[in-house]
Amino acid sequence: MAEVILENICKTYGNSFRAIDRLNLSIEDGEFLILVGPSGCGKSTALRMIAGLEDITSGSLRIGGVDVVDMPPKDRDIAMVFQSYALYPHMTVFENIAFSMRLAGKPKAERKKRVDEIAKTLQLTSLLDSKPANLSGGQRQRVAMGRAMVREPAAFLMDEPLSNLDAKLRVQMRAEITSLQKQLGVTTIYVTHDQTEAMTMGDRVAVLKGGVLQQVDTPKRLYESPVNAFVAGFIGSPSMNLFEATLTGDELTAGTFAIRLQDAAFARRPSLKSYAGRKIVFGIRPEHLYDSSLDSGRKYQTLPAKVTSIEELGSEHIVHLNIDAVRVDSGDPDAVKDFGLASNAVAKFEPESAVRSGSEIRLALDDTKLHFFDPETHVAI
Amino acid sequence: MTRQKRSRHRLKRTVAPYLYLSPSLVIIGLLMLLPMVAVISYSFQNSAVLRRDPSFAGLKHYQAIFADPVFWASLWHTLYFTCMSVIFHMTIGMIFALMLNSDRINPTLRNILRVLYILPWLFTAVIIAVIWRLLLEPNGVVNSILMQLGIIGSKIEWFSSPETALHAVTFANIWAGYPLFMVSLLAGLQGIPKDFYEAADIDGAKAYQKLIFITIPQLMPIIISISLLDFIWTMQVFPLIWITTGGGPIYSTEVLSTYTYKLAFSSYNLSQASASAVVILLISLGLTLFYIRYQKAR
Ligand SMILES: Nc1ncnc2c1ncn2[C@@H]1O[C@H](COP(=O)(O)OP(=O)(O)O)[C@@H](O)[C@H]1O
Ligand SMILES: [Mg+2]
Repeated sequence: MAEVILENICKTYGNSFRAIDRLNLSIEDGEFLILVGPSGCGKSTALRMIAGLEDITSGSLRIGGVDVVDMPPKDRDIAMVFQSYALYPHMTVFENIAFSMRLAGKPKAERKKRVDEIAKTLQLTSLLDSKPANLSGGQRQRVAMGRAMVREPAAFLMDEPLSNLDAKLRVQMRAEITSLQKQLGVTTIYVTHDQTEAMTMGDRVAVLKGGVLQQVDTPKRLYESPVNAFVAGFIGSPSMNLFEATLTGDELTAGTFAIRLQDAAFARRPSLKSYAGRKIVFGIRPEHLYDSSLDSGRKYQTLPAKVTSIEELGSEHIVHLNIDAVRVDSGDPDAVKDFGLASNAVAKFEPESAVRSGSEIRLALDDTKLHFFDPETHVAI
Repeated sequence: MTRQKRSRHRLKRTVAPYLYLSPSLVIIGLLMLLPMVAVISYSFQNSAVLRRDPSFAGLKHYQAIFADPVFWASLWHTLYFTCMSVIFHMTIGMIFALMLNSDRINPTLRNILRVLYILPWLFTAVIIAVIWRLLLEPNGVVNSILMQLGIIGSKIEWFSSPETALHAVTFANIWAGYPLFMVSLLAGLQGIPKDFYEAADIDGAKAYQKLIFITIPQLMPIIISISLLDFIWTMQVFPLIWITTGGGPIYSTEVLSTYTYKLAFSSYNLSQASASAVVILLISLGLTLFYIRYQKAR
């Protein structure tokens, strides 16, 4: 068990492409840290550098106080779970889990004892003699976990371990991995592109974009105070709505509507005043938009909107809307798919909502939940 | 649909595949089965082919062959020639494939080696035989190099002395045949997922452990099927031996194929030659069945 500290880690592929740029992270002993970001942002590269599968171009990396930059993977005392699981098809579950012990020349009895222990924890006992090809996706996933656990490493590294499972199983395995990590108390770095996994599993979440770290924080703080428009858009599902507006006095004006801001909004953000008379980006999450004809929405100010389509999910309605304002792109490639061509906003309404596709409605907005960003830098105000 | 129509439709569906297959079935029948049946029947006839109304000979020709010490020598030489060829084809093919697949060798060098290693495949058996006859001449390149290195004291007549001839033809055949293994194993190596090795690196596997625990088991299906095919083909090699030694000196490189050929076209004993051919056929058939069984089991 150990802390993992990355200082100014850089990675350049070939001789020009910068996949990771000055990454600083410190993961405490026993912590579950999630590394999240859109695909291609360098998550796997970062994890593989920690594992020693990829050279570190510059920077320092310490695991348990030991500088491991020049160490081969086997000496770093880490274990890795691969996205593909990398189980050996010609070996049984037992042989797969015991592989590292066999390499280390541990006696048979010791191997058997340890593997039995792990199989019990992971409920794999009855499958020890099967080959991976005969297992279900979830079982294979557990074997991959078992292989990582067998050596009692200082840290677990996991690269999108759930992305090959179907949606239902993924939810179940999410909980299993979280509780297993708590039970073992091993420092864990978990890579995913799925913000739901990030929000539900980790103690802390590090958001990466284009090889650059954006923010490291608890899921709650990431959700409530994202440091920039990218994090705001990436965390939360559906994504936060971001629009351009002009701040005039205590009013936010865009197109044909205006939103009045309360004094508290200015009190909490001293620099907001300096944007008076200028362009600004504001953001509001779908869950903070309401149907003004329902009780929940009555107490808020409203603005005009046109409903373009509705997804009825039973527990809630995802309503796609068009409002008279210019939408701002957060830079998250996955966010684009949340918006159809005709719509530029998304709201979550209660299932009682009776709005119909194509109708003009008054959209209620909880102005205490607004976020503000600089129009140029997209940094939070 | 009426019931009648439906049953007609069903009949059509069962018959159609055989209709499509029939041209190839006819060709296979004419070109492969017919000669086989003919050879088998010759082996039970007296003066087959030579006489218009040959009489039934029973197992006479088989008895004659089995009583012939040259036949047993040929069988032994065939086995030696084949086993050594397959073992070395596999070993050399494996080593070269591993080299061509290794990241540690510089890519330009790898491309050059790739071309060099595959060269033997470009030559037909006749050319290979001629090349090795020239190289292994008493005054040829091989002898002069070996003498210069001080490995041998005097010129060796590789193909003409009974002690070395069988080894020499086997060596030439090994040289001629390893590329099949190399190419197949290389394709197999490239198909092994990279993360198998990465996972092993993290678990602390040394290079030889990765070879034993990952590479070879992953290549096993290819190793087994190519070995069986190579065995079947090598057993029947004829031109290489015929052109280099002709089975001599003093039968020292006589294999089943040259033995059969001589019975047929030197002694004109076509009946005995047929019997010998049937023996080859039976051995090949056994191996082929083994191969098909193995392919099915996978
Ligand atoms: N071996 C490599 N050579 C060159 N570029 C690479 C290599 N591996 C990854 N990249 C590039 O580095 C970037 C980050 O890749 P990766 O870490 O795999 O992203 P992620 O895991 O976040 O999807 C991508 O743009 C990818 O194309
Ligand atoms: Mg990745």
